[in-house]
Amino acid sequence: MLVAIDIGGTFTDLMAFDEATGRFAQAKSLTTPAQLVQGIVDCLRKSGVDLAVISELIHGSTTAINTLIERKGAKTGLIVTRGTRDVYSIGRGNRPESYNLFFRRHRPLVPRHLTREIDERMLASGEVLEPLEHASLEEACRRLADEKVEAVAVCFLHSYVNPEHERAAGEIVRRALPGAYVSLSHEILREYREFERTSTTVVNAYIGPKVGGYVRSLKASLAQIGFRGDLTIMQSNGGVMTPEVATQRPVAMMESGPVGGIIASAQTGRTLGLANVISFDMGGTTAKASLIREGEPTMAPGYYVGGYASGHPVMVPVIDVVEVGAGGGSIAWIDEIGALKVGPQSAGADPGPICYRGGGTEPTITDANLVLGRLDPEDFLGGQMVLDAKAAAQGIVGKIADPLKMSAAAAAQAIVDIAVSKMSLAVREVSVAKGYDPRDFALVASGGAGPLHVMAIARELHIPKVIVPLYPAHFSALGMLAADERHDFIRTFYADLDGADFRRLERTVEEMAAESASALASKKGTERRIHLDLRYVGQEFTLSVPVGASQIRAGDRRAIRTAFDRLYDQRYAHHSPDEPVEIVNIRLAVIGKRATMTLPRLSAKRRAQAFRKMQVHLGDSVRPVSCPVYRREELGAGARLSGPALVREHGTTTVLFKGDVCSVARTGELLISVRGAA
Amino acid sequence: MRTKLDPVTLEVIRNALPAIANEMAADLQRTSYNMMIYEVRDFCTALVNLDGELISQNVGGVSHFVADLGVIITDAVKRYGRKGFKPGDVLITNHQAVAGQHLNNVVIYVPYFFKGELLAFSMVRAHWIDVGGTSTGFGAGPEVPDPWQEGLQLDQLKIHDGGRLDETLCRVIRDNIRFPESSLGDMNSQIASCKLGIRRLDELFRKYGGGTILKAIARIFDETETQCRNFVAKLTDGVYEAESFFDDDGVTPDERVRIHAAGARVAYKAITAPLAPVNEGSFRALEVIIPEGNIMMARYPAPMAGWSIFVPTVVETIISSLAQAMPDRIPAAHHGLLGGSVVFFGVHPQSRRRFVVQSIEGGGWGGRPFEDGESATVSVCQGDVRNGSIEGIEMKCPVLVKARALRRDSAGAGKFRGGLGIDMEVRNFVDGKWNFERANRRGCPAWGLWGGGPGESGGYYLRAPGESEYRMMHGSHKPVSANSEVVVRTGGGGGWGEPLERDPERVRWDVLEEFVSKDAARDLYGVALREDLSVDQAATRDLRRKLGRAA
Repeated sequence: MLVAIDIGGTFTDLMAFDEATGRFAQAKSLTTPAQLVQGIVDCLRKSGVDLAVISELIHGSTTAINTLIERKGAKTGLIVTRGTRDVYSIGRGNRPESYNLFFRRHRPLVPRHLTREIDERMLASGEVLEPLEHASLEEACRRLADEKVEAVAVCFLHSYVNPEHERAAGEIVRRALPGAYVSLSHEILREYREFERTSTTVVNAYIGPKVGGYVRSLKASLAQIGFRGDLTIMQSNGGVMTPEVATQRPVAMMESGPVGGIIASAQTGRTLGLANVISFDMGGTTAKASLIREGEPTMAPGYYVGGYASGHPVMVPVIDVVEVGAGGGSIAWIDEIGALKVGPQSAGADPGPICYRGGGTEPTITDANLVLGRLDPEDFLGGQMVLDAKAAAQGIVGKIADPLKMSAAAAAQAIVDIAVSKMSLAVREVSVAKGYDPRDFALVASGGAGPLHVMAIARELHIPKVIVPLYPAHFSALGMLAADERHDFIRTFYADLDGADFRRLERTVEEMAAESASALASKKGTERRIHLDLRYVGQEFTLSVPVGASQIRAGDRRAIRTAFDRLYDQRYAHHSPDEPVEIVNIRLAVIGKRATMTLPRLSAKRRAQAFRKMQVHLGDSVRPVSCPVYRREELGAGARLSGPALVREHGTTTVLFKGDVCSVARTGELLISVRGAA
Repeated sequence: MRTKLDPVTLEVIRNALPAIANEMAADLQRTSYNMMIYEVRDFCTALVNLDGELISQNVGGVSHFVADLGVIITDAVKRYGRKGFKPGDVLITNHQAVAGQHLNNVVIYVPYFFKGELLAFSMVRAHWIDVGGTSTGFGAGPEVPDPWQEGLQLDQLKIHDGGRLDETLCRVIRDNIRFPESSLGDMNSQIASCKLGIRRLDELFRKYGGGTILKAIARIFDETETQCRNFVAKLTDGVYEAESFFDDDGVTPDERVRIHAAGARVAYKAITAPLAPVNEGSFRALEVIIPEGNIMMARYPAPMAGWSIFVPTVVETIISSLAQAMPDRIPAAHHGLLGGSVVFFGVHPQSRRRFVVQSIEGGGWGGRPFEDGESATVSVCQGDVRNGSIEGIEMKCPVLVKARALRRDSAGAGKFRGGLGIDMEVRNFVDGKWNFERANRRGCPAWGLWGGGPGESGGYYLRAPGESEYRMMHGSHKPVSANSEVVVRTGGGGGWGEPLERDPERVRWDVLEEFVSKDAARDLYGVALREDLSVDQAATRDLRRKLGRAA
């Protein structure tokens, strides 16, 4: 039995898959921000899954990213080579917003007085110019100990080529500050470019103590309630890792939450024969969009947390996502000039929307949907939670409708409209802004609030086709069940391709593989992917060229060279076969493949039968329409229905407007043609 | 084919056009052979119509390359005629009489035809590492009297004619520049980038139809113009002035060069719509008057090697002139120099390969009406221009970067102080040549606003082996022996508002962080700190009263 648990800002979702029977189970419970681990335990209990039979529990969590964004990490010190104290704050000195006089640079996580320079110097060749001077290091440690730092990052120049000084310094720091969490730059990112490496290492150290504590307490609590299987943690690269690796490299789980839904969207697209889809996931706190082309999520070698212009570079492989602060729990409010705003502040799970009866007093998007009749107070989460419709209406009237002199329904409609236009921007940013016409893609809606709003977004962007997959409210967890184990390693290995010592290169790959062996939990069916980052001599940017282990063993420079020229030509439409080529980095991905999961087929049942009718506001806030309500689980393959309609299921509701036509695929997805779109 | 201009189509086209220019830029950067392109981003990519109007341009990169490619197209269309271009043509130019920039900035452009009709050009301007002449890197120094000594002049020539490469022209270029492998590699990248632009533009035209695209472009120009006009309309009508000066013209010492602000596009853009993409509409409502023969409008054949040195100061002066009109939107002055450039070159004694160290270091920006200025950031004329990483520099060149550090007390004091300038210290392991820029603004450093103090200005300093003191340096192409040490110093930003009004707690933090010395805290800010760096409130009150009276 495989179990995946995804903690969002509002809900904790669980999906379980029994490989023997091919059956799924699901559960959802409110996230308990102060007690995340307790939330997981509660969710497991609720699912009724027998803990003793779980072979692996896969976990995705926003702990890492939230710690950074909310700047709630550890008090962190930084130890660097003499002369480079300000490298971290100077960064690259650039202003991506060229015409903005009020541009903002990144705000360092370590102040200057906690950044200590010590005497040591390595050269780019790996030779020692100046040995590590212990006295200056010990003095630095004393100062950081006096300041009671909880974490220390160490980043020396050229440690990617020769990490000896960093290693030695690490030992001394660990002895001098026994309680501190220590990150050495060459262990986090063994690639040249000191600013990016420092930033990535500092982020790792800054979030390390909190994430480490979280993982430890999760393991302990699971053991306590009888879990005996393996715990794995979702990474930003779409693969999973062990808790031990997560504790050392929490920076790799930055986008741990969103990637599950993207993996699942790609899979859904593939199942339906749609290679180009946009994944749209709206949870309680945020909405996320991601573009999938040719069946593959878009990957980036790293990203800037907080945006390129003023964010923190974190150079670990990540699936590309655009996120906006609009989720079911996003709060509606009136600003100082009387304009209605929605988010980015969220009521989250605690206190939650007013209707959750958790003490929330601020009206949210969920409250607005309830007032519009799109949610049923008696039929939420399969009736596990009874919503307070009256309180939601009162909240909207008091906080929004009265000050703006409108009816409750009109205020609720306005809240939903604003949220929709905001989320449309996120979808636009992954498509239109990159030159892709959203009309060429299908929109895959997930998250508890995704299917509620997806048709309005599709209409706004003229997207003709929407897919509501199976288990949309547990989609991220579903994607995690399908995630392989994956570790990415990088090493700067700077040499001319022609003159490179391939025996040393092979040894380096073996070293990296050995490193991966200690990180790797799965012992069988692992796959190694080796890439060399190559460029023409004189260039800066590289192309990652896949190479085989046998090519490296044989030192087959010609084949590697040809592959590079060909890839270069494919990518840039020209190449230079006579120019010398150099190697810059070696990349190794070690992948522990998981067996493919087959979803059960739905039995055919053409007739769709509504189980009731409800009065629902669908765009017209004066007159509600009488709207049939279907149960998702009662819809068979081939069933057709058209809007206006609601399709209710555990954890979400799909809203269809007049003219939208929905049919059920053999594999269970709702395929919806949007009215009015081409 | 969709023909009507519905709002979604308009929106898609509005975003797709800049996306094309940005994709051209990304490819150019990724395939270029010279740091001025891949790190310093001294280039621009654009789509321009036959009237020389800017359809779209890349984001980031050098700000003063804004919408200035049009003159090349109007000139080319005049010379060749509309019928004078055919598919497969690639043109090259760097001629100063038309382009108005130094010869290193080489422009490549390619015509775009839709259904046989010439409609637009895709263009790439990029800084070549060398174009011949007396010096490499940034062109010749100010001492050179004319363009012929500055390098090879290429005047609107077809390097590909209908798809056929002009071998003769190629050889002329190859034989007259110092790093042909690098520059011709860059030329190929420029051509590929232009062709990519044409391909993407064609996809767009095929999808939506020529009529729709042209209608959309006209609409986008109009809307952009309106947006800018709406902003300007909010200002009180008036004549706003500001003045600044350079220490000298680089030839005659101590003869001040006055800059009296009239108008310029960078400043206008920064003030009206800083975050929106650039197109022709961005400047329709702006008229700029610069008499020919002025330093900002040189008369050919004036030498142009140092053409851009003045630009950030001009932009800043214009921005400052509006401080009265919009006090809450104008920061104090920044370091104002394009440079902070690190340029050291030579031949590696072991590998016999030629090397060039190049980096652009940032300086301090001015204090803002609501917060301190940023430190160590490139000038207003440079956008996404990145310094060279120390590790990348040392990997390729025989130098040691000993420090890249913020300089205490380099910022102008103020209620919101300026940002700090930096000291970059470089030791060269081998003999070579340095380019030292002139410190032009020692007499007119980054000024403060509303009572704020000026930032400290920058300069170049050299200590030869065996010497104990650093000497201030200027001049390009200066031979420097192995194991010399050079400090490239950039200026700090001006302060905004009275320093005595600065929150003493912020001053204390600045002292703890070593941005401000204890002395400066006392003398400039009137803040008395105890041994443990806590604020002595009573002493601070006295000090501030005394300093306030003295002022």
